[in-house]
Amino acid sequence: MRVPFSYLDRQFADVDAYLADLKAFVRTGDFTLGKPLTEFEQRFAALSGMPHAVGVASGTDAIILSLKIRGVGAGDEVITTPTTFIATVGAIAMTGARPVFVDSENGFVIDPEKIEAAITPRTKAIVPVHYTGNVADMPAIADIAARRRLLVIEDACQAIAAAIDGKPVGTWGATACFSLHPLKNLNVWSDGGLIVTRDGDLAAKLRLYRNHGLVGRDEVALFGHNSRLDTLQAVIGNRLIPTVPAITDRRIAYAGRYDRAFAELAPRVRVPIRRPGVKHVYHLYMLRVERRDALLAYLNERGVEAKVHYPIPVHLQAAAASLGYRRGDFPVSEADAACVITLPAHPYLTDAEVDYAIEQVRSFYA
Amino acid sequence: MTTASLNVPYVDIAGQHASIKEDLLSAISTVIDRGDFVLGAEVEELERRFADLCGVRFAVAVGSGADALTFALRALDVGPGDEVITAPNSFVASAACIAMVGATPVFSDVGADYNLDPALLEGAVTARTKAILPVHLTGRPADLDAIGAVARAHGLHVIEDAAQAVAAEYRGRRVGSLGTAGGFSLHPLKTLNACGDGGILTTNDEAVAERVRLLRNNGLATREDCRLWALNSRLDTIQAAMLLVKLRHLEAWTTARRRHAAYYQRELSNAAGIELPVDRPHEKAVYHTFVVQADRRDELKRYLGERGVGTSIHYPVPIHLTRAAAGLGYEAGRFAVAERQARRILSLPVYPDLREEQLAHVVGSVRSFYQRGS
Repeated sequence: MRVPFSYLDRQFADVDAYLADLKAFVRTGDFTLGKPLTEFEQRFAALSGMPHAVGVASGTDAIILSLKIRGVGAGDEVITTPTTFIATVGAIAMTGARPVFVDSENGFVIDPEKIEAAITPRTKAIVPVHYTGNVADMPAIADIAARRRLLVIEDACQAIAAAIDGKPVGTWGATACFSLHPLKNLNVWSDGGLIVTRDGDLAAKLRLYRNHGLVGRDEVALFGHNSRLDTLQAVIGNRLIPTVPAITDRRIAYAGRYDRAFAELAPRVRVPIRRPGVKHVYHLYMLRVERRDALLAYLNERGVEAKVHYPIPVHLQAAAASLGYRRGDFPVSEADAACVITLPAHPYLTDAEVDYAIEQVRSFYA
Repeated sequence: MTTASLNVPYVDIAGQHASIKEDLLSAISTVIDRGDFVLGAEVEELERRFADLCGVRFAVAVGSGADALTFALRALDVGPGDEVITAPNSFVASAACIAMVGATPVFSDVGADYNLDPALLEGAVTARTKAILPVHLTGRPADLDAIGAVARAHGLHVIEDAAQAVAAEYRGRRVGSLGTAGGFSLHPLKTLNACGDGGILTTNDEAVAERVRLLRNNGLATREDCRLWALNSRLDTIQAAMLLVKLRHLEAWTTARRRHAAYYQRELSNAAGIELPVDRPHEKAVYHTFVVQADRRDELKRYLGERGVGTSIHYPVPIHLTRAAAGLGYEAGRFAVAERQARRILSLPVYPDLREEQLAHVVGSVRSFYQRGS
């Protein structure tokens, strides 16, 4: 049996409806900041429980624009965690600011108890990452940020529809940043991103900033970026967005099925702590395991397309050399890099495929 | 008065796509079947073909023309404290890309061809100048020999803003091959246009190409090896697939634009009230826009609009006089040529699908405006 990691072939096995949408769209020529984009932004805002959503070219750009529009740049420090996809840190560095790392905790998100020690007079912002689809401890982070007068930008690229106690991601930060990359929980047929915010003025500024600073066609209010979610991709997004609740429920159900099965394999397989009240949307279903590389090879040989996100923590990447961190600086993140494994948990799997994956993990440790 | 009722929109993107939409959709289908939406096979093929088209060794496809220029600057380590010289009459992105890397845009006035006047460049060079960013505005190549001479004398990079000038030629060489790097836009209104945003960088410098490949893809050399902090700015595979379809038509489209331009130049050569763009023997302009300078421009624009002729102004406010440039300290009058042109320029429709009677209607309408007096 094959348990694929990617689901694109299953999700788009029947593309006729999408192509019919595109055929009608191509005829309009409404390719840049067009009507379907406005509609998609409104629907995404509604899905996210936020009043405003601004479509941009990628999740990375969502973070860059959010930081820069609030004045973060050269000379500033921005706190985040090394347990993330490198784009979080690249985005901070691209503003000219210096990324400062704080270790992650059991749920693969920034450890709020370690944040205060990393704050300096240069610290301007905190970028917590809702990594894997788990939500960072936002009430605690928001409390620190309020006391220390720091900006909070939520990296929610993996956390569409995630929440704490019913409060959606984006509730605590000035913005929350989402990715629509083809392997995200809500995906389009290319790179794409969205910024959500409660702040109408900020949303208006971001709309300028993503579009060359243009007010109308002829007035330039500020030097800006060109970072627009393609309207063509919004056409795809409009067709997919109604499926997000069902997709999310299915991911949560499969994660629960895995969690229950793997509880009995402790301590060789360790299921992360699931914080009560958190709606974790399981973009990645990650475990800590013994003999990780052997398990990975074993599963891959048996058709279970497990992966590792990621074997090298960001602070030990070549790109981070100039930041001066060393092995040992972030023990949780480093230990995780050596023992995490990601199992396929997407909604296009069958129960039988999930059970097969469970069986293979069991048999490896038997 | 049959011609008076003819409609000539300024652009007709929908019309352009009507005849090729089946080809475009089948190109998209192929990508979906493979599922390689990011940096897929068509991106590489487009890069190869575009490099050939420009006569360069490397082309790297990115998210937009603005990003292509930004990446060229970043790859050459242009940043805070540096100055980059460019033209004040371009689309704002030419200057914004400089500001976006933290450098300071420095403007220098243009000539009658709407491009940087090489004779004025020396006056804009300072100890902080890192590069010159000439714009091939309207699809006409800037005078790269003279600009290159200034750059060499001061050890500056030349980054071509070729956003409007795919396939334009200067002394037998294609733009994008004339400087250290070139940045092209594939925006829907460009001569080679995606159905969304897109851009491409050209260079003969392998180190620049490699750096930009990292810069557009989160710095990743492999899935696990991040070499430098970077952005995410990749041309979508499905846009590349559609661009490959359109690339088959590019030569015919460019020929049509140049034919329309020649028609205007011929039919309006002795018309009162307007100045026409001039083609020089050493250049091949591709007429992204056909820009005339007109007496009583705003009245003419209104008159043409009433007769169904769409026009546009590229661009009504020079960049140094926009709010975005307030911090740079330029005042009105600083760039007399660009400012005078901004009050007089008008872009006539020049897209490939224009029919002869539409062109004749534009010409007739311009003539009748000036004949009827004020």
